[in-house]
Amino acid sequence: MNGNGRVGILVNRLGSLAVLFALIALWWMASNAGWVSRVFLPTPQATFASLLEGLNLRGPNSNGELLAFTQATVGRMLQGWLLASLFGVLLGAAIGVSPAVRAWVQPTLEFIRPLPASALLPLAISIFGLNPGMVLFVVAFGAMWPVLLATVHGFAAVEPRLAEVARCLQMSRAAFVWKMGLPNAMPDILAGMRLALTIALIVAVVGEMIASQSGLGQAILLAARAFRASDLFAGIVLLGLIGFASNALLAFAEKRLLRWQQP
Amino acid sequence: MSTAADFLRFDGVAIRLGGREILSPTSFDVARGEFVCIVGPSGCGKTTLLRAASGLVAASAGEVRRKGVKMSEPSREVAFVFQDYGRALLPWRTVEGNVSLALEAAGVPAAERAPRIAEVLGKVGLAKHAQKFPVQLSGGMQQRAQIARCLAQKPELMMMDEPFGALDALTRQSLQDELARLVRDDGLTVLFVTHDLEEAIYLGDRVIALQANPGPGRPSLARMIDVKIPRPRDQLTTKEHPEYLQLRRELFAFIEQGHD
Amino acid sequence: MTERRLLRWLRPWVFPALLVGAFEWYARRAAALGSDALAPPSAAARAFMGAALDGSLWQATGFTLGTAALGLLLGAVLGIALGLVLGLSRRAAQLGSLSIEVLRPVPSVALIPLAMLTFGFGVRMELAIVAFATFWPLLVLVQSAVQQIEPRLLEVSRVLGLSARERAFKIVLPAIAARLFVALRLGVAVALVVAVTVEIAANPNGMGYAMMIAQQSFDPALMLAWLGWIGVVGFAVNAGMVLLQRVVARRMGVLP
Repeated sequence: MNGNGRVGILVNRLGSLAVLFALIALWWMASNAGWVSRVFLPTPQATFASLLEGLNLRGPNSNGELLAFTQATVGRMLQGWLLASLFGVLLGAAIGVSPAVRAWVQPTLEFIRPLPASALLPLAISIFGLNPGMVLFVVAFGAMWPVLLATVHGFAAVEPRLAEVARCLQMSRAAFVWKMGLPNAMPDILAGMRLALTIALIVAVVGEMIASQSGLGQAILLAARAFRASDLFAGIVLLGLIGFASNALLAFAEKRLLRWQQP
Repeated sequence: MSTAADFLRFDGVAIRLGGREILSPTSFDVARGEFVCIVGPSGCGKTTLLRAASGLVAASAGEVRRKGVKMSEPSREVAFVFQDYGRALLPWRTVEGNVSLALEAAGVPAAERAPRIAEVLGKVGLAKHAQKFPVQLSGGMQQRAQIARCLAQKPELMMMDEPFGALDALTRQSLQDELARLVRDDGLTVLFVTHDLEEAIYLGDRVIALQANPGPGRPSLARMIDVKIPRPRDQLTTKEHPEYLQLRRELFAFIEQGHD
Repeated sequence: MTERRLLRWLRPWVFPALLVGAFEWYARRAAALGSDALAPPSAAARAFMGAALDGSLWQATGFTLGTAALGLLLGAVLGIALGLVLGLSRRAAQLGSLSIEVLRPVPSVALIPLAMLTFGFGVRMELAIVAFATFWPLLVLVQSAVQQIEPRLLEVSRVLGLSARERAFKIVLPAIAARLFVALRLGVAVALVVAVTVEIAANPNGMGYAMMIAQQSFDPALMLAWLGWIGVVGFAVNAGMVLLQRVVARRMGVLP
């Protein structure tokens, strides 16, 4: 039996919330009652306290650095992602528009596709050394590939009928790429950018961990090494929030930009 | 020197595809302002003939000449209405945006576009739907949007490839009448491909019947019939007109012969 | 005609060959100028042979592949099971939706320190993270696939009085087989990427770690050899899955 109408939807939302609370309650019990050692599983209240402390929300004496760490990680992620998207679209368009270029280059692109972006970190460390610029480079380079591949695909698959319409209207090549190729590729490009954002976050975190760069990645690594479980969990919560927020914002933007898809 | 009578001339146009001759050398003239319908069974090459006439595809032999000049590439003065209207419209632009595309391609400055778009949308009856996206429109409305874009090109010649084939019977009938009115008002020359014999007689000044599998002694161009039914025509009385009924009988019998 | 086919076979290799050639030239010049950050591909190839011959290549590769496979097994079994439940029951899907939305966005790499803390270093830690990472895509894709099963088939199972187990194995799983395979392909790709990432970040085992060690020992040739090998393994595994998918599809009558 499904609830229909506004009351039904409200009931569903509440039910969903109730399940979430039940899980949190389970967490509360498991940690407070000691079912799982508090070394690995801090209590919810301790995690929350660490969060407040770290974000400087706990009165004038706290000197938490979580906010600064969060800014550093998010900054890396966003900068790298923006660079990746820009270059990914430009290169992808250049490759995707020409069937000849695609034929020569695509197999190489397909080889690079399954490569983990983090695998480039040792090479980057070798070339650039341990500094923030190195991490940013790998973030941007790693996140570029989903955008590039998606853009190539989007430009390659223009509806042939539209290409004929362009010929009938005697549209210039530039007009064709700008008015037909690009909008046609938009859904693919946006999907690629969404994937690129998750990769950017991952590489930013891993980069911070191995290159000892200030940020949430390094923070949670140090917390684990020092057995500060509640700080560790606080960092994980923040990373989850970053992942959630960035994805939600991008999904919202996608929906607005692709309004024309919905009947 | 060309006259109004040979506004469009097909001179020995033949088309080979995949090693087979789809269309044997075909010649005929189309006068300015004429509405010529091309009918025939599947595979007779009627669509290919239309595409060759508009420059989308190259003829294997012979030439198509418009006002004495060979047509080798598409031109804005020759509008093409595709059968699969859904795929010929830009899904990310509104109806207005789609019509605007034709004007943008022709280099019409932005200020002049709006009135011209409004005019053409008014002609096809889509003025109230200008801000809708193709996905929000019915099949008939999408086809009207495509026709509107073609009209915005201010073409001399309109090629139509089974434009109403994918629509239901009622929509087809109303679009036929709308088209007849538009063509008369703008003085367009139309080449109209259809598999529907009745539609061809109803709309055309002349009907050209092609046959499939041409060979020696069996040319692609099998019959050319003038339709002397007076205009304006309407769905009820024209279809009871004796000339209409006789042409219908003639064409049906001819097509049946072709099917062995 | 065969000349053209030969050219078509060679064409994919031309561009990468040019890149490798350019890299070789550049790396040799850099080495001549005293830089030890890069090594030419020829040196990397030699290092690769060395690792292959002394067994370290196979041991590390085996660790990564094996751990990734185990993690995928765990993540897939749980993800598919829950995906089936949530797909078949609208109520369950609605109840679980918020919890999933809260837990799913956590990046798997954020759990590396936690896994380190809980399991130490080794197989279990990496396995746990791979399981977490592969659980979510499989859950989401299987749930979506089940929700799109032809309702008529589910009615048939009710009319025939099939038990829940029978319904799962005889109706649901075959009905979603094609999309399930696509989900597994994604799972394999994710498992491999996450495994290597965990090894780069923390776990002192496997291909990722071998590459890190090579870099830290200032052995760029070996590092590049590992980088290339990781790429090859990833490509081969994914290509293998595509082939497997085609074989399975043919067996199941989807492809002629």
